[in-house]
Amino acid sequence: MTQTLTCEVNGILRTVEVDGDEALLDTLRDRLYLAGTKRGCDEGECGACTVLVDGTPVHSCIFPALAAGGAEVRTVEGLAGPGGKLNSLQQAFVDRAAVQCGFCTPGFLMTLTALLEANPSPSDHQVDEAMAGNICRCTGYSAIRAAVRSLVREDGA
Amino acid sequence: MQFLAPNTVREALGMLSERAGDLRVLAGGTDVMIQRMTGQLPRSESLLYIGGIADLRGVGCSDGLIRIGALTTHLDLGCDPIIATHLPSFAEAAATVGGWQTQAVGTVGGNLCNASPAADLAPPILAADATMVVSGVDGPTRIPADRFFVDRRRTALPPGQILLGVEVPVPPAATWESYLKVGRRSAMEVALVGLGARFSVVGNRVETARLGVCSVAPTPLRLRHAEAALVGSGLEEEAVTAAARRAMVEVDPIGDQRAAASYRRMLVGRLIRKAVRLARQRLEIK
Amino acid sequence: MTAVGLGAPRSDAEAKVRGLAMYGVDYREAGMLHARLLRSPVAAGRIIRLEVTEARRSPGVHAVVTAAEAPRHRNGLVLLDTPFFADDMVLYEGEPIAMVVADTSRQAEAAVETIVVEIEELEPVSDVAEALAPGARLLHPDLDSYRVIPGTGPWPKGGNCGGVLTSDPGGVDEAFETADIIVEDVYTVPRQYQAYLEPKSATASYDGWRWTLDVSHQFPYKARSRVAQALGVTDSRIRVVGHHIGGGFGARLDLGLEQFAAIGASLTGRTVQLVNDRVEDLVSCMSRENATIRVRSGVTRQGRIVARDFECLMDSGAYAGDTPYLTSIALLMAGSVYRVGPTRVTAKSVYTNTAPSGAFRGVSGTYLCFALERHTDRLAQAIGMDRREFRMRNLFEPGDSMLNGQTLEDAEILREAFERVEERAPWREAGKGPLRGVGLAAVIWLTNPLAGSATLGIQEDGSLGVSTAATENGSGAVTMGLRQIAAAEFGLGAEQVFVTSPDTDTQSYDAGSQGSRTTHVVGMAIKAAATQLKPRLFNIASGLLGALPDDLELGGGNVRVRDDPSRTVSLSEVARTALGVGGPLSSTGTYSVPLPKWDPDSAQGLLFPVFPVPTYHVHLAEVEVDPDEGSVRVTRYVVVQEVGRMINPDGVYGQIQGGVAQGMGYALWEGLESRDGRYTRRTLESYGLPLAVDIPDVEIIVLEHPCEAGPFGAKGVAEPPIVPVAAAIANAVSDATGADITTLPIDPEELLVALEKRQEG
Repeated sequence: MTQTLTCEVNGILRTVEVDGDEALLDTLRDRLYLAGTKRGCDEGECGACTVLVDGTPVHSCIFPALAAGGAEVRTVEGLAGPGGKLNSLQQAFVDRAAVQCGFCTPGFLMTLTALLEANPSPSDHQVDEAMAGNICRCTGYSAIRAAVRSLVREDGA
Repeated sequence: MQFLAPNTVREALGMLSERAGDLRVLAGGTDVMIQRMTGQLPRSESLLYIGGIADLRGVGCSDGLIRIGALTTHLDLGCDPIIATHLPSFAEAAATVGGWQTQAVGTVGGNLCNASPAADLAPPILAADATMVVSGVDGPTRIPADRFFVDRRRTALPPGQILLGVEVPVPPAATWESYLKVGRRSAMEVALVGLGARFSVVGNRVETARLGVCSVAPTPLRLRHAEAALVGSGLEEEAVTAAARRAMVEVDPIGDQRAAASYRRMLVGRLIRKAVRLARQRLEIK
Repeated sequence: MTAVGLGAPRSDAEAKVRGLAMYGVDYREAGMLHARLLRSPVAAGRIIRLEVTEARRSPGVHAVVTAAEAPRHRNGLVLLDTPFFADDMVLYEGEPIAMVVADTSRQAEAAVETIVVEIEELEPVSDVAEALAPGARLLHPDLDSYRVIPGTGPWPKGGNCGGVLTSDPGGVDEAFETADIIVEDVYTVPRQYQAYLEPKSATASYDGWRWTLDVSHQFPYKARSRVAQALGVTDSRIRVVGHHIGGGFGARLDLGLEQFAAIGASLTGRTVQLVNDRVEDLVSCMSRENATIRVRSGVTRQGRIVARDFECLMDSGAYAGDTPYLTSIALLMAGSVYRVGPTRVTAKSVYTNTAPSGAFRGVSGTYLCFALERHTDRLAQAIGMDRREFRMRNLFEPGDSMLNGQTLEDAEILREAFERVEERAPWREAGKGPLRGVGLAAVIWLTNPLAGSATLGIQEDGSLGVSTAATENGSGAVTMGLRQIAAAEFGLGAEQVFVTSPDTDTQSYDAGSQGSRTTHVVGMAIKAAATQLKPRLFNIASGLLGALPDDLELGGGNVRVRDDPSRTVSLSEVARTALGVGGPLSSTGTYSVPLPKWDPDSAQGLLFPVFPVPTYHVHLAEVEVDPDEGSVRVTRYVVVQEVGRMINPDGVYGQIQGGVAQGMGYALWEGLESRDGRYTRRTLESYGLPLAVDIPDVEIIVLEHPCEAGPFGAKGVAEPPIVPVAAAIANAVSDATGADITTLPIDPEELLVALEKRQEG
């Protein structure tokens, strides 16, 4: 039996029928065709499925879709600014070679977006702690750290 | 199956009393959703999502009691000033539960009711002499924390009831407490051993000692014999050695894919020593 | 040639940060069906009943496929030992027994649950020791009758061994007699899961004659030939289209799920998608094999290694996969880096009732280096010599040969690498203090030589298209390296070059992203194509400019007269003109690396005989051990790596940092152990991948010794940074604690015990 979920996704009000125990990830990928959010583990370990629900990062693979009723959901597809311009974090990922295979990238971008919105000048250690729930198998994290660091400096200047 | 989302405790309890056998209470979902997907919980069960009940979230303090709502998230605990002042070990424990994504939605109540042998909040709650406030349609009752964990993944929460929150007496002034956890990596770990330690001193003597541990038995538990070895002592080497020895006998760890039983047992002793070392520095025991 | 040596951004980065890059798991077609596999719940047994009637009648089900509907012949990467579906016997937990194809994946899953399978369980042959014990049950009683792939000669095998390498040059026993001290060590390592974040998947469709596969695969041409082999059809009836790859690290070089999707498509006439969930991915993945290594060396008091005996048992799991190749790596490493005197080598690929193991970045090199470099420390300690000094005394010199007879004329780079490490982190000062330690490890590694190709086309707008079946596995070799090489050839900026994704119907052969080969091999193919194309291009420009072709040069998107830069014509105009003068400006180049000389008599069973285009690597690790927990923190990590020439520093540094992180995981946390043929860690959570909080920024020093036969001098880069990491860390941890580390991942309990012992002593 499906139930109705109404929430805002990337600024657009969406109403969609979902299964009662459906994970938000399935709703986003299979019902709303927002495939930028990735499925890596289905157990809240890898973080590739991270989206923001009311500004807070959650693992959408284990987040009940219906718990997002009335909430604002943001996914990687909603990060670019007006005219489709990359936001500063996306641009820093491109410029600092923080992307390799890129499968983890949407999740990292969402977690780090939330971090920078809460704390525009995080230390390296704060960055590492914030992304403990996101795994990157390719980069060894150094370039991701550098991408965030580049924004902290720019803001400080 | 159905997803029910009550807005009040009364509404939730009403639904629960009508169809307790078929309803699974869901808060943040970080455990329940995984357990459903992996077949540990039946997917036919309907979900009673209590995450929308605002009354059950938050921390308050009055009449010498700190009250923590069951839906307070790990992240809430980590930035609450009352917790920071009086119950720092709760914040330390909450900060070790998964990553940001889990701490943001995972709740105190969920962590305790899921009753994992490795529940991170259980050791500090046991060490704090906390009381669990539970309620059915007939109103709330109280269960001491050390009687709450009955077995692996089983609590004393009666069917048809939900956990409303946790009450903790404000600790005396000269009290030190901490949560010490060992995992393999520096984060995202299920505890190999977690120790919630609390010592209150009068003069240079330990008046009360509490040691709560997880991941060393089917349930989180208090190490009463080890505690007794420390009470009345000045946390000197002899007492600590005795406490560590007793603790290693009191626990009954299993060896599994995360760690050998012998390593877990060894860690219990080591963590008690570490706790005492830290406590001595902070309490300035001579 | 400005594009080479710069940190040009990768051309797929923007799609990836927007969430618009389509990976294999994202591929969708209208009306696509979904499949699920029924996998064996037990490690060993005989199927006595398989009942699928109810599954066939389940809602939404289009087909149920079992061994009865599938080809009956066996397939394989080198040895054809693998059935399509388990038929009579199951040989590992997770082995596919049947597949359901349905409208939705939930329907497929529900139907799988209705399948009745009864298996008469057998005691699994759960490890290498059991498999080699006298009287052990044979996993493949018909091993002698199995065919091998064309072009591969026979090699020694038998019993539970899918391949045996032996080398006994003579004089080993006599050389041992000249030793003052003989040290023997045994090392054991578990499997390592590649843990690419995108689970394996395959999507297939069928048009009545040919199959099309939409996949994220590192080696589309291998996927093509392996699917063809499994189905029993010719290669060209298979088309493989490559999409973005969510990490591979070697795990997507052989068949994954492609053959199952293909048979589902031809049986239903519909597009069929099959995706692993994470647990089945982990359990069934061809992880890096577990192994046992025994090494015995004789050493003199003056610090010379004079003789060695080396044995390595590699657990191939239930089917041989690539392991018969990997036995050769034991020969290639047992006597390289350091002079070790006459050496006897035995390496076996051993069948057990576990999931087949396979390629993971650095393959056997990771644990062979761990064993050899731990052993090197132990040899130094046995004669009371400083560990670095001991290494320098025995270090290879130019002209020294490896045990396969391959001579290394440029081995002086190894000494340079040690010296550069010393400048950065002086040995006398490194890792000092209680609970701290320092370790060194060095390795010589190869650039995979296998063939590749690329087609260049100057577009009518003056940009350059590079079409190749080479795959971008995330390393940047295609979207950075190849673009930059092509750009530099034509005086363009990298942003003026685009690369296609692989499609075996339209691009010729490429041997996939393995062994650091893409930049080197396909870069050379691009150079070859450019060499063919430029004369025509200059000829046409010569007509347009009224100058001799020999007086022209490329630059800034134009062809210009060398001595009179004011006379230029744009590449766009040249390309448009070409359409009327012989046709488009396009050419294809191909390349494979000429193999260095080796001695074919150096060993029997040498299927992987040489290390072409060798590169040189020295790593240093400093660690600190927590006295309460026994946990290890890597406080400093230095890499000196020789790369030929850096095409893109971001790419090189990214590969080194990432490879080291994977090596740290191998050293400290990761590992698949099995008990009775079942993995004990079965989820990503329990597996323990390294996190940002665990991985420091690596200090990277790149040595450039341009390779004459390399594109702009480039050699292979990406694979080797993982190889010495466990060795360097283990040596450092042993230094810090006194623990004699012989297993991975390093066991904190063992460190606590060692520290206690040290305190008591």
